[in-house]
Amino acid sequence: MSAKPAGPKDPSYVSSVARIFDLSLGQMLWSRRTIFLALIVGGPVLLAIVARVVDASGVAPLRVNGVRVGGAGIFGMMIWVLFLRFIVPVLGVFYGTALIADEVEDKTLTYLFARPIQRGAVLIGKYAAYLVCTALVVLPSVVIVYFLLVPFSEIGASFVPLVMDLGILGIGLAVYGALFALIGALLKRPLLVGLVFAFGWEQVALLVPGYLRQFTVAYYLQALVPHAMPADGAISLLESVFREVPSPWTSLFWLVFALVASLYFAARTVERREYVLEQ
Amino acid sequence: MTKRTRLFLLVSVGVLVLGLGTGLVASYVGFQGLTIVGSDGPDELAYVPQDSRLVAFANVREVMNSDFRRKLQALQPDSAARTNDFQDKTGVNIESDVDAVVVSLGASTEMGPPLLIARGRFDAVRIEGLMREQGGEVADYKGKRLVTVAGDEHPFAVAFVEPGVLAFGTADAVRRAIDTKSGASGNITKNTELMKIVRDIDDGNAWAVGRFDAFAASGRIPKEVAGQIPPITWLSASGQVGSGVEGLLRAEVSSDQAANDLREVIRGFMALARLQTGRNPGIATMLDSLRLGGEGKTVSVGFSVPPEMVDVLASMQGRGRGAGPRAPRVPRPGRPQAQVF
Repeated sequence: MSAKPAGPKDPSYVSSVARIFDLSLGQMLWSRRTIFLALIVGGPVLLAIVARVVDASGVAPLRVNGVRVGGAGIFGMMIWVLFLRFIVPVLGVFYGTALIADEVEDKTLTYLFARPIQRGAVLIGKYAAYLVCTALVVLPSVVIVYFLLVPFSEIGASFVPLVMDLGILGIGLAVYGALFALIGALLKRPLLVGLVFAFGWEQVALLVPGYLRQFTVAYYLQALVPHAMPADGAISLLESVFREVPSPWTSLFWLVFALVASLYFAARTVERREYVLEQ
Repeated sequence: MTKRTRLFLLVSVGVLVLGLGTGLVASYVGFQGLTIVGSDGPDELAYVPQDSRLVAFANVREVMNSDFRRKLQALQPDSAARTNDFQDKTGVNIESDVDAVVVSLGASTEMGPPLLIARGRFDAVRIEGLMREQGGEVADYKGKRLVTVAGDEHPFAVAFVEPGVLAFGTADAVRRAIDTKSGASGNITKNTELMKIVRDIDDGNAWAVGRFDAFAASGRIPKEVAGQIPPITWLSASGQVGSGVEGLLRAEVSSDQAANDLREVIRGFMALARLQTGRNPGIATMLDSLRLGGEGKTVSVGFSVPPEMVDVLASMQGRGRGAGPRAPRVPRPGRPQAQVF
């Protein structure tokens, strides 16, 4: 029986994740996708600047039922409508599905899998890079929007909801990213499926009476939002739909469950699946 | 990790830490009264004492130049004569001389005359001359020219407090306004509770905010009604007068339950009004424009008077006055003709 030749020791799972994270973060931040990310996140900042200028000129930027909506109210609506319902799912879809799919498409997956690291660590490391990259763009933009819209005199009262908003957006990015990472690991063309899930299934299921909404991420995320649902026309309809919301702890439980389960199965899929790179 | 990646991370984390740190300090220490760009109402509020129960503002220039006002004026042809009378007595032409006014009521619970601060173009010599003709005395108060006239209950005074700004009211109130502006006592912008409401409503070209007891003390709310409505702390009204009028009445009550009760009371009144005026198209349209809203401790009723409604009111008034000669009655056949006086 011959002994295994002495050589460099294989890195641990955690250090493998750290190395992939380090490599992927720079790639993600300075890719073309970042321009898209900047545009998406810059929209609310631009809107907030416009609202502030309009407000400073003495005209109410927003009225609901004839009542002037204050800066904190507009901020709450932006969290509901722009960030939670649009920006977070969009970033989850575009970045999450691309974690593995991009490597397959660019035929660079072989170089990663040829390294002496576990395949699952590749996905987890890339996922961590996605989370840091998106969170560090989205969350500062939320803070900027907040300070543009909310008067200083109201900051004391609305600070705790801001912290909750940042936490919820972080959870949203994490859960959507994990879910779409799983879809990306499973399917060859995951972007279309991701878009259908985020802007088809999630939107429709939330409006259908019954239990279907329990199979959406938005149902649990929106239960955590500290702001009141905007009360106006079509949005009031949504309010009536969301009147029966799960408790915060139930929502947190299912969100964490979805996150862990998605990441586990995504890593397992990457470990076991044989990716065929087209020549 | 490259240098620019590290720089990006540093900036992002810096923005987050700075924002959260500022918010944390604000929530513990408080930044009351500070805003980045927000307004603190018109400059004339600097003359209004901090303990005033009611403050109101009107952009007279915008209101006077509005189509709505022109239409109203056409409905009331004698209003021009009344304006001229006011001009003859005071030397002030409201239409051309006054740009904006701020009116306030002092802390006293009795309903005294209000303090009026007007900004515009005033003929000081003419106004002073007119007041002298009525026995007015001119004195200097802290460098301001004060003209005082004896009134029925209180002596009235006018002071030209700064170029283009005139203060009018009881002599005591005008002196106090001058003191307030000089910083001897706090002005109304220090009243954070009131100013929070002012910031919410000051986008209109006319608005008023006051403690409810100020309105109740005016005696304009019947005691029977006042006894039935939930306890209101602040009452405010704002309006945008243009081609029509967009208005909002807002009440701040002591609790969420009281707000719900007040909404129910208003709903009841609105239903009763619809029931009683259903056949009157002008008023029915007005009632349809009412919007009950507000959240938490705030109850609001918004309304709009579109330009067409003024035309409807004009036609109703025309019918009420019996526009044009009445057609002679045609006697019914087979019945004796009644004598018409």
